Amino acid sequence: MSNRPLSLILVAPALCVILLLFVVPLAASVIGAFEVGDGFGLGNFVKASELYTQDAIFTVVIVSLSTALIGIFSVAIAGYLTLGENPRTVAILRWLYRWPMFIPFIVTGQVLRTFLAKNGLFNNVLISLGAVTPLEAESYLDWRGIVIAFVWKQTPFVTLLLAGAMASLDRSTMEAARNLGASRLRILFEIVVPQVATTLLVGLILSFVTMMSVLSVPLMINAQSPTMLTTDIAFRINAYGDYGVANALGLVSLAITSVVAWIYLRHGVRKSL
Amino acid sequence: MKTILKAALLVGLAAPSASAAELTVMTAGDQNMVDYVNEYLGPLFEQQNPGNTVRVVGTGPGDAGSQKIVERFEAQSKAGSPTWDADVAVVHEKFTGPMVKAGYLESYRSKIDTGALVTRANADMALGSNVSGYVMPMYNSQAALAYNPALVANPPKSYPEIVAWAKEHPKMFGYNGIKGGASGVSFVMGWIYAFGNGDAKNLMTGPFEESETQKWGPALASLKDFTKNATLTPGNAGTLDLLSRGEIAMGPVWVDMFYSWQANGQLPPDFKLVLPSPGMPGQPMHYVIPAKSANVALAEKFVQLATSPKVQAEGIVTRFNWYPGIDAKYVQAELDQKTWAKLFTDISPEDIATKGKPFPIAPYNNAILEAYEKQVSN
Repeated sequence: MSNRPLSLILVAPALCVILLLFVVPLAASVIGAFEVGDGFGLGNFVKASELYTQDAIFTVVIVSLSTALIGIFSVAIAGYLTLGENPRTVAILRWLYRWPMFIPFIVTGQVLRTFLAKNGLFNNVLISLGAVTPLEAESYLDWRGIVIAFVWKQTPFVTLLLAGAMASLDRSTMEAARNLGASRLRILFEIVVPQVATTLLVGLILSFVTMMSVLSVPLMINAQSPTMLTTDIAFRINAYGDYGVANALGLVSLAITSVVAWIYLRHGVRKSL
Repeated sequence: MKTILKAALLVGLAAPSASAAELTVMTAGDQNMVDYVNEYLGPLFEQQNPGNTVRVVGTGPGDAGSQKIVERFEAQSKAGSPTWDADVAVVHEKFTGPMVKAGYLESYRSKIDTGALVTRANADMALGSNVSGYVMPMYNSQAALAYNPALVANPPKSYPEIVAWAKEHPKMFGYNGIKGGASGVSFVMGWIYAFGNGDAKNLMTGPFEESETQKWGPALASLKDFTKNATLTPGNAGTLDLLSRGEIAMGPVWVDMFYSWQANGQLPPDFKLVLPSPGMPGQPMHYVIPAKSANVALAEKFVQLATSPKVQAEGIVTRFNWYPGIDAKYVQAELDQKTWAKLFTDISPEDIATKGKPFPIAPYNNAILEAYEKQVSN
């Protein structure tokens, strides 16, 4: 108790930083979303819903789909790293899968822009394999491009968390199941994944929030319609100097991420109980 | 501070400036704008004004870059700073009107020798605002249709012909919408000039009338159909990219980018340009001097150098394939015939005069963009 003033002084710098750099700008942007002309009102939200409802839905669908795919791929990779029996393949996979994690989103966007174009490398490979004819080749620089970029970039991050959690599991249960004749797939889904579900959920939630905030990828791959909310926010400010609607859109994406943040907190609280 | 004041004083008296001043040039636009000052204009100025240095700050491409400059001036004006941290700024046309109105700029055109060489109307009226005296055009850029002659034997000469052509060749026309760069915006504005039922002249010169904005419905509806049948490209460079790879056969581009890509070998040399009637908008970039610059006299000298016929010929036309900011006839004398001809091969000076339009005035511009978002994108 006697140390209380001292502890307050110690925590003050951190608190100030949070207040000045996070709480104040957030509050300014929330208030800005309701500022219409000289007064306050919902005008910005009305305009945002008139123009960008489709984009908001598009954003949620794209990010949710990407999150689901990231989940599937990261379970597959981490599962193989844990249960794989060919040491060489496991070693190669372990070395390979982390690479995209160190590549910035903007570079991912740039690489995929040439990779996924109509005459890009991807289609050229398909054509040379005889999978499609040159006339059938189509550009993937639309919603599919964004999903591919997100999944490619975020899967390693979730896999890294997941593989760590799986490695720390007690292997005796897996070995017991194996002795009783369970297939590796069954072991993965009935023994391993349930035990690391929390880690998977946390990884996916963090990815969801990260993807919600990425501007460079939609801008480089598909700044068309519909597009993601980040592009619209940037456009509102750059083309019209209109911070009101931009703030309103920011608040909308904040509401979307709050939903997953709520799941995260609820889960964290339950775990600590 | 003292040295800077002293330097300003010396330059002001037109004495040979021996003490050092640092001239800060803030520029919107792509990296090439920063490179232009760093590699060419800055050293040239330093050589002619020994002791002084030029520092350039890039604020980013597109309108966003100019927006940042405006916000910077606004912040310093509100804070009541006695001197501002920029001496010369290069901004997009759209932002000069509001800057003049807010009193951020100094009127300097009549004070410099090259001021008299400016003849184009867009140096006096910037999207409906009177900016006469406050700006010197750095260059004029123009959007036009680029096409691949191997795929398009007879290029469309007008907007209705573009529509007919695109109908016959689905997905072979590409443009970048309105969120991926201004060449797409220019195409959309040209569309409204051609098909909007209102008075295109009023859109360019004002005054703004709310009733005018109600007349674009059918034009936007047809643009929506047109866009469904076209390819949407990722950005200004995206259109050129798809053109070069044969994925589209035609699309709106910036003339200077087109020539630069061709010079670098990124576009085949046989690709051509056409400026369809009734015309497409282009825009100038302007040099402005903030009213609270610490080195006004030096800044004026800098702009005078930048808009001199020699620099306009060497830097603007030869290096970047931009159309000069000052009257082209003064620049022609400084150029060899080949360079001059190259700039006007596909698009003649008469084309520029008749079909090189300004963008609509700011309120119409915003209204058209928003109507596009509402009716074409949605």
